[in-house]
Amino acid sequence: MDLGDFTIKKFHDGLLAKKFSAREAAQAYFKHIKERDLEVGAYLSLAEESALNEAGRVDEMISKGEAIGDLAGAPLAIKDAILVKGLPATAASKMLEHYTASYDAGAIKKLRAEHAVFLGKNNMDEFAMGSSTENSAYQLTHNPHDLDRVPGGSSGGSAAAVAADMALGALGSDTFGSIRIPASFCGIVGLKPTYGSVSRSGLIAMTSSLDQIGPLTKTVEDNAILFKAIAGRDPMDATSSDADYGDVLSATHGDLSRFTIGLPDEYFIGGLDGTVAKEMEAAIEKLKKLGAKFKKISLPHTKYAVPAYYLSMPAEVSSNLARFDGIRYGADPNEERPKNLLDIYLKTRGKKFGAEAKRRIILGTFVLSSGYYDAYYDKAQRVRTLVKNDFDEAFKDVDVMLTPVSPTPAFKIGEKIADPLAMYLSDVFTGPANLAGVCAISIPTKPSSALAPGELPVGFQLIGKKWHEADLFAIGRHYEKE
Amino acid sequence: MSSTIDRETLEHLAKLARVELDEDEKEKLLKDLGNILGHFKALEELDTTNVAPMTGGTDLKNVFRGDRERENTDRGAGVEAFPKSKDGFLEVPAVFE
Repeated sequence: MDLGDFTIKKFHDGLLAKKFSAREAAQAYFKHIKERDLEVGAYLSLAEESALNEAGRVDEMISKGEAIGDLAGAPLAIKDAILVKGLPATAASKMLEHYTASYDAGAIKKLRAEHAVFLGKNNMDEFAMGSSTENSAYQLTHNPHDLDRVPGGSSGGSAAAVAADMALGALGSDTFGSIRIPASFCGIVGLKPTYGSVSRSGLIAMTSSLDQIGPLTKTVEDNAILFKAIAGRDPMDATSSDADYGDVLSATHGDLSRFTIGLPDEYFIGGLDGTVAKEMEAAIEKLKKLGAKFKKISLPHTKYAVPAYYLSMPAEVSSNLARFDGIRYGADPNEERPKNLLDIYLKTRGKKFGAEAKRRIILGTFVLSSGYYDAYYDKAQRVRTLVKNDFDEAFKDVDVMLTPVSPTPAFKIGEKIADPLAMYLSDVFTGPANLAGVCAISIPTKPSSALAPGELPVGFQLIGKKWHEADLFAIGRHYEKE
Repeated sequence: MSSTIDRETLEHLAKLARVELDEDEKEKLLKDLGNILGHFKALEELDTTNVAPMTGGTDLKNVFRGDRERENTDRGAGVEAFPKSKDGFLEVPAVFE
């Protein structure tokens, strides 16, 4: 069994052809994880027993001749901010060290119905706050392409697990780039779906108006398969929608001449790393050869997106993290606790939240406080409207946009962690799509097998109109086929 | 816009947010928050007087669920996840002195 060669389709075909059983496949993944993850650190916890049980059920279905879907038996990794009933869900925070999920997230329910196999839970930045996974309270995750470098974040464990063949695919979450940045740094495909396409029920909330769950996979085709499985309305999330995505799995036909791709001036600026600039040019050339037309466009408010985000996000963080009071969500039963309730709050939250979480809670409390609300929070929300209007305007002329995912390839562990502002600026190209609520995907400019020794993977980003994930998949599948 | 948070304000905010901070954390936060708020100054140059705030990610309005019986979170699991319980009820520290 060559785990490196698997895609979801190949895995499914192998399963049906009885080349291996689902149980054997799951065992092979756990064996590989137990060796490789010692140096990568992608998993916070493994779910061997429940995974092997589910794989066994799939084998039984196959032996009885029952029809199974593409994802039956597929070994997947899940970001630790997403609830899987009966498994830990720490969100990489000490605050949730003793918590066990008491229900399934909406996306997990849908995958369970497909009989997917959950291998375990992935490391991340604490409560998804970060772009490098260095803010985990538990461990570092190393980039499988260069162990001295970060995998990106906050869904860094999920991206590293897929890139190192420790899972066939994964679910992450993306608030301002948290799926696309690690996908780019690790050389895999990552989708931030349209806001409202995937249920947020059971996703530990960071910024509710921006958070979306999405798939991380080796290929664009795999990504479409996973997206199709998790998208759709869930009564447990009032912002989820039953949109018509068209056929996201349709085999690509013809060339790409039906697409006009916009190149926003503001994304191709000085400060772009040389390798990234060169890779963008190569990707654009390749897409031109495939028939796509390109057009220069402008998103004039791009430079305001990061400051607007770092004002409005902490406000939502300070509210969402208020629920962690040191009493609910699996507090340590053996811990000596102060008698006074106020002291329980102060001490538990002071001790168990990491530095970035505290920074955002304090900042959020500040921007929401009387006298500052209008100058900061309200202002940021108005700027968000301007950023969204930019996209509405530009999408009148183009079908999708192409941009870099990150200004640099994966950076060294420790390089940016001491300077929060430098870290925040690594989201400059990914965040605007979240503010506008549109969909965006990160696709490696070339397959990992084509990287020269020492060369780091780089992703390009395609940004699509709301509910037009099918456009991103169609262009991406053409691109990766050639 | 005031672009700094002084020590007194920081201590007040930390109390409101129910987060205990030690001296080193306060020093670091004062510096970091100053830098971050300085970065926000860029927004001042934008005139947003006639722009409506975008208050959420969705265009959906008035989403209601049907008034029907539905499967709910397992109450037992919720109680089990709690550090202390008695007869199926959650036990919490006294709120009033």
